[in-house]
This record gives sequence, C-alpha cells and structure tokens, in this order.
Amino acid sequence: MLVRALYLSAVWFALGILSTLIMGSRLQRRDMTLSLLWLAAVILLGNLIAILTFGKILEIIGLSFIAFVFGLYWMMRLQDWNAPGQVTWTMTLITTGLFILYTFLLTAFSPLNPPSFIFALMFFFLEAITLTLALAHMHESLDVVCRVQWHRLLNRLEPVPDYQPMVSLQVPAYNEPVEILEKTLSSLAKLNYPDFEVLVVDNNTPLQETWRPLEDVCRKLGPRFHCLHLDQWPGYKSGALNFAVTQTDPRAEIIGIIDADYEVDPDFLSELTPAFADPQVAFVQTPQDYSYSRGDLFSESTYRGYKYFFEVSMPSRNERNAIIFAGTMGLIRKSALEEIGGWDEWCITEDAEASLRILKLGYRSLYIQRAFGRGLMPFDFEGLKKQRFRWCFGGIQILKKHWEALMPWAHWVDPGNRLTLAQRYYYLVGGLGWFSDVFNLLFAFFLVLGASFNVLSSPVQVRPLTNTILIIPAVFLVLHSMRFLWVLRNRLRVSLFMAVATMYNFFSLGWAVTLACIQGLVQKEGVFLRTPKSNTTSRMWHAIHVTESEAVIGLICMLAGCVVFATDSNWRTFSLCALLFWQGSLYMAAPIYSLLSLNRKTAQATHIAEQGKPVVEQRAARWVVAICMLLMAVFSLISLLPAPSGLPDYVRFLPIDLTTQQLVGQARASPASAPIAKVTVESANCRAKPRGNAERITILYKDEEAQILGRNDDPNNPWWYIKIPRLSGNCWLWGMTSTTIGNVDEVPVIR
Amino acid sequence: MQKKLQTEVTELLEEARRFTQQGKREKAYRSCLKATSVAPNEPRAWYLRSQSAPSTEEQLMCLSRAYSLDSSYPDIKQELRAAIQILLKQEPFLAYVYETAEFYQVRSGRDLLINIPKNRSFEIPYLKKAPGLAKPAFRWLSLALLGLLLGGVGAVFLAPITAFQSLRLQSLARSRGDQVRLWVVFTLSVIILMAAIPISWLLLIRFFPS
Repeated sequence: MLVRALYLSAVWFALGILSTLIMGSRLQRRDMTLSLLWLAAVILLGNLIAILTFGKILEIIGLSFIAFVFGLYWMMRLQDWNAPGQVTWTMTLITTGLFILYTFLLTAFSPLNPPSFIFALMFFFLEAITLTLALAHMHESLDVVCRVQWHRLLNRLEPVPDYQPMVSLQVPAYNEPVEILEKTLSSLAKLNYPDFEVLVVDNNTPLQETWRPLEDVCRKLGPRFHCLHLDQWPGYKSGALNFAVTQTDPRAEIIGIIDADYEVDPDFLSELTPAFADPQVAFVQTPQDYSYSRGDLFSESTYRGYKYFFEVSMPSRNERNAIIFAGTMGLIRKSALEEIGGWDEWCITEDAEASLRILKLGYRSLYIQRAFGRGLMPFDFEGLKKQRFRWCFGGIQILKKHWEALMPWAHWVDPGNRLTLAQRYYYLVGGLGWFSDVFNLLFAFFLVLGASFNVLSSPVQVRPLTNTILIIPAVFLVLHSMRFLWVLRNRLRVSLFMAVATMYNFFSLGWAVTLACIQGLVQKEGVFLRTPKSNTTSRMWHAIHVTESEAVIGLICMLAGCVVFATDSNWRTFSLCALLFWQGSLYMAAPIYSLLSLNRKTAQATHIAEQGKPVVEQRAARWVVAICMLLMAVFSLISLLPAPSGLPDYVRFLPIDLTTQQLVGQARASPASAPIAKVTVESANCRAKPRGNAERITILYKDEEAQILGRNDDPNNPWWYIKIPRLSGNCWLWGMTSTTIGNVDEVPVIR
Repeated sequence: MQKKLQTEVTELLEEARRFTQQGKREKAYRSCLKATSVAPNEPRAWYLRSQSAPSTEEQLMCLSRAYSLDSSYPDIKQELRAAIQILLKQEPFLAYVYETAEFYQVRSGRDLLINIPKNRSFEIPYLKKAPGLAKPAFRWLSLALLGLLLGGVGAVFLAPITAFQSLRLQSLARSRGDQVRLWVVFTLSVIILMAAIPISWLLLIRFFPS
C-alpha cells in the first residue's frame, strides 16, 4: 500500500510541477475556488493514471482524501500564492514525506548484517536531510514565482520632505589598483545628494606605491573625500571598517559600504535615504549588479548566478523581514551598528553577520529591488572559486556563532532575541543550504561505490536496489532540476540554454563549497582558499590545474557509469549509469568553465586581494579524503562479514515493491498469461516451505525465470510457489529476491 | 600632601583658564605644562594643555592622554576627532598598537601615540567567550545524537547520561538562559532515547535474526 501511495503521490507531484511550469508565472490571481479546482484536477488526473496502471481503488480514494485535506490546509496558509504554487507545494510535501517513510522501512527491515544496517541508517539520515533541504529550495522558488501578492517589495521609495540625513560612505580597500578605485570614487563624486562624506580606508596594503596615490585622488575629488591608510591592522576588512566608524563625521546618521571596484549611480543616496525616516529601519539593501560580456558563456552564466540571489532569495526573505545585509550597495543606520558593537572581526562575511544581530534587536530591514550601480565580477574561474569559498566559509561561521539564536527555544534562552520564526528559518536554512554540496559529493561517492560492487559482483549490500529506490529519486532529481531551470528562466528572463549554463555554473562550484563547509567546521579563524600553483606559463594548463580535483571526481563518476553499464546492460545499470553521468557532469563543469574563462580579455588583469590565513586546496581536501577512506574501510568490513543466512522474520514488514509491469499496467492488461518470477539477485535459495530457515531445495541464479504456481497468504511478505526450471518439482522463492512478470493477483494461495 | 598638590593643580588650571580668556596663549600653555608635570594623571590638566598647545601633534597627544584618563570628559571625543582629522589630512597613516573595549591606541605617521575612542557598545569576541554552564550537557547530547545515527545502541547509553548531566547542572544554573538550555537538553535527550530504543532494537535483531 505504501509503495502504491508513494507512486500515486509522485504522479501528483509531477503533474503539479508540470502544471506550474506552464501556468505558475502566468496565473496572476488568487482565488480559493480556482485553487480547489486546481487541486481536484491534479488529484483526479493522477488518480486516473493510477487506476489505469498500478492503483487500487480503495487506496486511491483514501489517499486522495488525505491529499485534499492537506491541500486545503496549505491553501489557507499560503493565501498569497496562486493555485499551481499551492498545489505543487502540497504534493511535494506528501511525496517527500512518503519517500522518507519508505526509505526508513526499507532500511529498517531489509535483511542486512549489522554493519550494513548502520551504513544504511546513515544513508537514510543523509537522504532525509537532503530532501528536507530540497523542500526549502522548492518553497523559495514557489514563493517568488507563484506569489501573487507582495507585501514588502519595493522598486523605489517615496521621498520624505526635509529628510536628508548625512551619510558616510566607506570604501574599504586592500591592494586595489588605483585606476579601479579612481573610477569608484569618481562615481561617488557625482552623487546628487547634499550631505555625504566618503572615507577610503586602505588596510594593510604592503606597498606604499599602491596606496599613496589614493591621497592625490581624494584631494582632487574635494573636501568630502578622506583617505586613510591603516597599517598592521587586525581584523582584516571588518577591523578596518570598525575603525572607519570612529572617523565618520559625528553628524552622519547612516553608513554605506561600497566595494572598491563598484561604480555607483548618482541617485543611490537620494533614492534610498527616505527609508531611514522610519526609526525602526536599520538597514536597506539593493541588488548588486555587475558588468559582463554578452556572448561570453562564463561571464554571462556567472552574472546570472549572482543575480539569482538578488532576484529569488532576497525578495522571498524580504517578505518576512529576513534579508541579509550584503555589504556593498547597502546602507546601515550608524546608531544600530554602534548598538551591536560594530562589525564582527572574526567572521569573514561580517555584513551578513551584522544583519542577523541587528534583526535580533527587533529592527526592520528593507530590500529595494533596483540596482544602483555595477561592480566587477571575478575575472576567471579561480577567482570565482575563491570567492564562493569565502562566502560559504563565512556562512558556516555565522551558523557556528548564532545557531542557538535560530533554534525554536531561542526566545526562552534570551528574551532579548526578537527574531521571528520566519527570520530564524531563513537564516538557518541559508546556513544549512551550503551543506547540499557536501551531501552531493557523498551521493556521488555512494553511487561510485555501488557501481564498483555491481561490477565486481560483490555480495555487499547497503540497501536493496528496489524499483522504487531507483525510480523515485530519479523523479525527484528531474522535477527539482526542472523547477530550478524554470525559476532561472522566469526571474532572470533568460533562454533555456542560458538557464542550463547558469545551473551548471552553480554546480561547478560544489567542490569549493564542500571544502569551505568542512573548513568552516574545523577552523577556528577565517581562512582563504589557495588553489594549486602550476610551474607552467600556459594559461590553459593553469586553468585545468586549478580545477583538477573537480575533474578527477567528474571523470571517476563518468567512468564508473560507463563500466557498470558495459559489464551488465539492463535498465537498472542504465539508471545507475545515468545518475553517475549526471553527478559527473556537475563536477566536470568546473574545468569546462575554467577553460571558458580563458576567453576573457580581462583575465590577464586579475589581481588577488585575499586576506586571512591561507589554506591550500590539497590540504583542505584531506578531510574529504579521510571521510571517503573511513567509508571505504567500513565497506570493507561489511564485505568480510557474512550476509544474513535465510530470511529473518522481520522482513515481513518490508514494503512490497511494484514490478515494472505493474507500474506501467501490463500486469493488469494481460490477465491470461501465466505469471513468472524472475530472480533479481545474484543467487536465491528456493526452499521447501515459505520461511527463511526452511530446507533449501535448489538455488536459482540472476535473471533465471520460473512459472509461479501459487503464493503464501501474507501479502506483506510474499513467497512464490514456483515450478523449478529445467528440473521436476516445486519450491518456494522469496518475493524480495525476484520480480514478477504477469498478473499475480489471481495466483492461488497455498497454505 | 595630596591635598596640597590638588590645590596647586587647581590654582594652576584656574590661572591657565584666565590666561586663555585674556588671549595669552603662551602663558596659559606654561601653566598647563606645569600642571601636567605636577599631576600627570589629571585629565583636566591635559585637556586644558591641548587648548593652548602650539602644534597639532602636541594638541593630539594631550587630548589623547586626557581621553585615556577619563573617557567621559565632556567634548573630548569631538575635539580629539577634529584633531585627528587635521593630522590625517597631512599624513593619512595610522598603525595599530593595541585596543581596549573603549579605545584604539594607534601610532601616526609622525610617530605620535594616539588614543581614539570607539564610540560603540562592547561585545566579547566570539573566540574569547567563556563556555556556558550547559556546554558539557550539549557535548553529551551531540555524542548521543551521533550514537543515534550510528545504529542507536550508543544513544541508548548516552542519552540517559545526557539527561542526568542536564539535571545535575540544573542545580548549578543561576541564569534563566542556562536553566532553559538545560531543560532543552533534557527534553532532547529523552526524544533521542525514545528514537534510539526502536533503532537499536532493529540493529540487535541483525545479530540474532531468529
């Protein structure tokens, strides 16, 4: 019953997603009647498919009722969404919940030896966490595309008469070329705002020749511009910014942070300062925009990747007053910054960390969805990789420092913590979301391991590869990928090709994010990633060299996929091969993008301005290697131990899998044909009685077929009474070791 | 002796103030100089000396000294900031020396040691925060959670230890936050135990399948 329910909900989920892809962004109205009709239509259409294939009427009616009531609940909760969004969210939750239950039962009651069980249990927890994180991504996507009513999203603010507070703009710089800084400062000089100052804070730049020219630039631009060089200053950028606050004009009420390579539009201050007329507003953020070369795949996909955060995540967060202060192109109230004790000098993403502490005090934030300038993106893949490492590392630092403030009991521990439930959710999911790439690497590892055991025909088993365990994750993978592409297309207004390129751009950084997650957990202080150095002057070789880890992982996955399918070609190995190719492609994207970034003319102008303790990529990767070695050792231990002999009693609780014939309705369509049992495991014992400890009559081998004459009376733990092939006589074959072809519903029960 | 000294300083400062009002800067400076040498820990003396100091550097040094002696002295922050701004216009270089919760001590490009007020509330840096009372209980809780992930048997033993630890520490908890934390640990350890019992049973039946 559970398996049929799972397949039915997966059909609803697929129908929900497909209807959302077609109508999700077009249907700009919220209507309870329409939502009810939409829900009923998806359920009925799914039911029709199930009735024609694998379904049983009574089960379908029962589950439909539950799904309908659950759908009604979410319609009430998500009244600002349109009907496709509400229905898709309902079906995603049901399918995810049922799949987690199914995998738990499969883990709990499969005949495994003790170490295999422990491994399977770990795998189950990993799967459950990953699916929960995928739910969070789904919620965010539907929240921005299927939302009909926005409560807090603004493109511009109304001016407040006679309110033009003084603003202190701070431009932190480290080892920045003066030409780039001059452009930034010149754009600030053109701001059409009456009362502001600009403080250029250069920290720890080693060479006088680099920072001295800034003095002349500031002098040339007028008395509003002040230049300051800080030497041997601790705390990196945040240390320098904290000191800069002491040097701001006492009249300044607002502080703005501008990156050294950012050109700002003249309206930046006049458009944003009205937000601070409300004393509860502590910070305002606008999207960061970048210059990119149209037609350059690396540049354009990276640009779209940046935009995703400001077009999808920030609007969704803004609806719940849970945005992140992203530093550049944001303004912050000086008194709020002083109240929280300034920027955190330990955290390398001090801006996001400060926003959490400010929201904790009960202040409000505001997101204005209009870009007021453009900055420079990393020139090559190496720079992009380092930047993503830094962001992720900072995210993990925030999680380490503030995890308790995000917990459900936070208000009781600290009554001063005024974070709302939604704010805690967004900050928690934002931090945990980085771990998706760690789980992705672990899945790749498990897939490669599974493929190796398949090729070596090893008896090691972590979990039986049932049809359901192969089909449903593939459904999740395909539907979530489609959802991601749909969001990219809708919010960023890009072609399907560019959406795919952007998606791969995200995934290509998975290795850097994995390293940052692990380093974030084990390192006490901030580090930056140092990619491998190459002795060659060839730029092409260097581009490959800096992504050698990703290339190796990608190639291993693809090679394992090819070998497993070549040695044993069937639809199961094909599925495994397809999954391995998918995983491999995510990692192989890194060297490809690295090579594509060579096309950029600006690549030669790269300058690296990293601060902190360096961590060499190979050394950072040792943790990953250690975890893989540990897993391999446990696997070796499993292979040394015998698999359970016979069939334990507990297997009766295993959910009964559906055959491929049952799934496509062939079993129902050909009632006249005699049902056949086909062995799916390497070897299966055929016994005198339908019990695991009964006398063994013979052994059947993989893909051997036998005619089914009868069955036992326990539908939860089926045994087939078969005619022994090639020999005379009959015996009992356990249902979990075989799949059936034909209609088994009419098979007589033999007691 | 102390009283006599105090009277002398007060007289000198009064004299300096009078000279300043009369526009006799040099005489005022000399009185302040004497006052700061007689009572080097008197912030008023340093502040008044800064008012008549002949150079920006000396003015800065005096203000900085006065600020380090009494950070609540009126107007001092603004004047210090203004003096630093003048200095930075001439030489925009500051090197870090050390800092306290209230000020930075920096060295200027002209080798002056200056104290610069921070003007913000103080938060103990993350790495220097003392571990809370509930930390041992949380450590046991994380071990119990690990035990749950690894087949549940470990959690069957570790979750009761966690619960016991949290109850034991409860008697030592003074703050409401610690009390809540320990109750949370206790509740979570009970939940882990409830989950660990069936999971460890599932593991144990693998050892005795019959």
